Amino acid sequence: MEKILTKNFELKNSHTVEVYESTGGYRSLKKLFAMQPNDVIEEVKKSGLRGRGGAGFPTGMKWSFVPQNIPKPKYLCVNADESEPGTFKDRYIMELDPHRMIEGIIICSYAIRANTAYIYIRGEFVFPKQRIDAALAEAYKKGYLGKNILGSGYDLEVYVHRGAGAYICGEETALMESLEGKRGWPRLKPPFPAVVGLFGCPTVINNVETVSALPYIMENGADAYKKFGTEKSPGTKMFSVSGHVNKPGNYELPLGYPLKKLIYEDCGGMKDGKALKAVIPGGSSVPVLTAAEAEEATLDYEGLQAKGSMLGSGGVIVMDETTDMVKALTNLAHFYSHESCGQCSPCREGTGWSHKILKRIVAGEGRQGDLDQLLAIADNMMGKTICVLADALAMPIQSYLKKFRKEFESYLCQP
Amino acid sequence: MPTLTIDGKQVTVKDGTSVFEAARQSEISIPHFCYHPKLTIAGNCRMCLVDIEKMPKPAISCNTVATEGMVVHTKTEKVQALQKNVLEFILINHPIDCPVCDQAGECRLQEYYMDYTLTESKFREEKVHKPKKVDLGPLVMLDDERCILCTRCVRFCDEISKTGELCITNRGDHSTLTTFPGKKLDNKYSLNTVDICPVGALTSKPFRFQCRVWFLKSTPSICTGCSTGCNININHHDGTVYRYLPRENEAVNQVWTCDEGRLSYPFINFGRLIWGMLKKEGQLVPSSPEPVLSEVVSALTRMGAENLVFVGSAYESNENNAALKKLAQGLGVTDLQYSAHQVDDPYSDDFLIKADKNPNRAGVEKLGFKPFTGGTQLKVVVALEGIGKQDLLRLKEENPMMLILLASNQSEAVEIADVVLPIAVFAEQVGTFTNFQKRVQKFEKALNPKGQTRPAYEWLGEIAKRMNLSWEVASAEAIFQEAFGMKYEDLGKEGKVLGETRDK
Amino acid sequence: MAFEFTAENKKKFEEVVKRYPQRRAAMLPTLWLAQEQHGWISPEVMEYVAKLLELTPAKVYEVVTFYTMFNLKPVGEYHFQVCRTLSCQLCGAEGITEHLKKKLEVPLGGTSADGKYSLSEVECLGSCGTGPMLQLNDEYHENLTAEKLDALIGSLK
Repeated sequence: MEKILTKNFELKNSHTVEVYESTGGYRSLKKLFAMQPNDVIEEVKKSGLRGRGGAGFPTGMKWSFVPQNIPKPKYLCVNADESEPGTFKDRYIMELDPHRMIEGIIICSYAIRANTAYIYIRGEFVFPKQRIDAALAEAYKKGYLGKNILGSGYDLEVYVHRGAGAYICGEETALMESLEGKRGWPRLKPPFPAVVGLFGCPTVINNVETVSALPYIMENGADAYKKFGTEKSPGTKMFSVSGHVNKPGNYELPLGYPLKKLIYEDCGGMKDGKALKAVIPGGSSVPVLTAAEAEEATLDYEGLQAKGSMLGSGGVIVMDETTDMVKALTNLAHFYSHESCGQCSPCREGTGWSHKILKRIVAGEGRQGDLDQLLAIADNMMGKTICVLADALAMPIQSYLKKFRKEFESYLCQP
Repeated sequence: MPTLTIDGKQVTVKDGTSVFEAARQSEISIPHFCYHPKLTIAGNCRMCLVDIEKMPKPAISCNTVATEGMVVHTKTEKVQALQKNVLEFILINHPIDCPVCDQAGECRLQEYYMDYTLTESKFREEKVHKPKKVDLGPLVMLDDERCILCTRCVRFCDEISKTGELCITNRGDHSTLTTFPGKKLDNKYSLNTVDICPVGALTSKPFRFQCRVWFLKSTPSICTGCSTGCNININHHDGTVYRYLPRENEAVNQVWTCDEGRLSYPFINFGRLIWGMLKKEGQLVPSSPEPVLSEVVSALTRMGAENLVFVGSAYESNENNAALKKLAQGLGVTDLQYSAHQVDDPYSDDFLIKADKNPNRAGVEKLGFKPFTGGTQLKVVVALEGIGKQDLLRLKEENPMMLILLASNQSEAVEIADVVLPIAVFAEQVGTFTNFQKRVQKFEKALNPKGQTRPAYEWLGEIAKRMNLSWEVASAEAIFQEAFGMKYEDLGKEGKVLGETRDK
Repeated sequence: MAFEFTAENKKKFEEVVKRYPQRRAAMLPTLWLAQEQHGWISPEVMEYVAKLLELTPAKVYEVVTFYTMFNLKPVGEYHFQVCRTLSCQLCGAEGITEHLKKKLEVPLGGTSADGKYSLSEVECLGSCGTGPMLQLNDEYHENLTAEKLDALIGSLK
């Protein structure tokens, strides 16, 4: 299959502007500047590209919410705060093909008429940041960024903004708060960022992978992009595979690809020949699939929804028969209680409470009633908070307990 | 102007009104902790979740704008379950130390627990421990374990006092309200954070452990700390004032008051003159009222009007000053002066605190009293309380033959007086003050006058009667009506600005 | 001791501030600069940053304590941060932590007496396909085994 996002990954010095240009990089800009911004938005709408950060919101539609007839500046924030457990795709794009992302940034910024873009990168990504810094310097030098880009009259400044260790800053409104120099507390919606975003101005927040798909769409057109994937989930997506497989790593696949094929063919099958027990298909927040469900699932928005889970960020965590699901869930509860920003009561208290119960169960001090209590907590958090971090723990709690309840019960003291 | 339905009631509200405020306007109360009408919306407590038809998830009413045709449910079983569940989360790490908590009796957690829960908590884990007895500032104590992290106090310091001392540190269930290490919550308005704290996390150092709140009675009044005239409620029990709390008046103090003003009440409780006094052999000695009144009447009769100076007070009510003026006029006295509290280097700002520390300067001036200048030939001075430092120096220098003082508290002025009539303080009577905006505002009687004290206007009436002036001992309202040409009820809720004809 | 930026960092700060329409937005970059210079974020550093950004120190303090990468106390010359989240756990992260505890003779969350090593567990570092892994100062070390760890520690002399 033709690759879109990862096609240069194998090339030597793929991160340099020379190599990127030699494979057709930045060629779409000429076409871009010949188009009206609104036509760019229409083309992206037509491509069916959806946000690759996790929520899957249609990208072109998101851009179209930016009001154009107000005098305020507009901003693009590129979400490079990749922190969803199981996900490591954006990191590889930034390390191995940063210019693709930069070209995408130019396309998006032009379409929404932004003259400033910030790349919010998680603080731990020191090496990817170095690669981006170097790539930006090259792009400025080549005239792809800065004033009057390629004689188009269009100006764009791009800055890298380094986070400092907070999962929640991957949530788009927390990201903006953090960028503004505050605690990463998600904002209330409405107002939505497209209208009142960064510094109170209209803002689009797009994931690294999302913007990196734009050069292809600009260069080859929406129809070419739609040849990949399914009708409702067009295009390709990067899947980060981790856990008990022989060849973990990033795989760019057309949406709709069978999960079974990814595990058993692309990833070389289960490690040590063990049997598959469970798969988290879209980053740690989404409901877990049993082996049977996983073997039938296809990797697209609708296919995973049909199996009761979600495509999410494309972080595929594969667990074999030796995996202790109680420990796995406890690990996630630790993560989410540690990463809860603490702002709203149900999440602040509910994630911590869940973690305490699970820790006790793992320690052999589980009591009858604990599992129902966990479900009650999940239920009382779900959909009742400012952002979806609480849901991101509630969904694993619900799905693990539903699908692996016996394992949890075996931990409890007998009445 | 959308019309929506809340719990079956139709209500029409202004554009942009939240569902929460729309409910409030139709007298439907929605439980809440973090929402405060004067602060930005935080939406973090989640207690005001309601069910809105056609919305996929419960919505917080504080951040949901009312729209045409919206159908809102706030009391259904589903919503009550939401509220109960949120409350359960908020309570799991709370110490539930109500028996030793000053907030007990006026605590939202307690009230909502009674309304929504009334069952045992299912939480069986170790609670998160946080700092207790934190000396947050000169007037405020913090118990972080009681804090529910609603951020009202943080927002107050960011948005209202603009001093930014408070913050939340850490994350998740370790989030903690604090100040910067070594810094204090120290601003002119810090006790408002205690007022708006919905739980017992922030307590007032002057008030803590003084009185259980359910014993307190509350009487609407006006702060006498400066010429702003912040509207307050006097909280008192058994003849003692325990605290002032701000009372809403959008036109004056919104819902706030300054620390200095709200802590200006001890003069009501302490240092009071509760007997009359007469000079005997050069010494002031306590006396029952009759001999004091006789002495006053005899002195006033002895001296001609030209030897009398009447000194009003910018610290006393319009009614008491008006009564003094009336007595002066009855006696044919034309020399009307007033004295005021004088403070060296008074603090003021562009919010609530005025440099003029007198609640009624505009009032006493409007009645025709002139600022105190004394006079070279002072014989007898009849003065209401509140002789300022400078005025007192001058008075001492000029050394009048007789100083007749109507006073509520011990002061230097009392030391040089010849005759003292003990008067009630503003909290012990009805009356009005005219603030710096020329806004006339009424205060109610919170306490009975102590000992033999009576409101000044009553003593002045007694004197008038004994001097056979055709003047009855009138009520405060009668005096007010005569002097201002209106009734108390004409003042309305926000008071009335003199010279303004409009009626809201 | 009062903290102050070096002349070079002062210049960098002035450059950084220009990237944003609001001064406060320079918070994280300024704190990073300070931590690079000072090693950790002391109360004096926070007061200095607050002054630069025209904020009260509380508004810096609340930020510093929100983000896990700002050190509120000095850390060792070599800071081992082992990823403890699910994918790495599935691949044996616990063993990595245990091995380091013994080898470095440092408890979890602690620093060795000579100030050379610090050891902590951190949440997902976005390197799930190459777990177990850790971050040593700024660098990622992936696909770890006991032998690899020993070689790594051996190289830090």
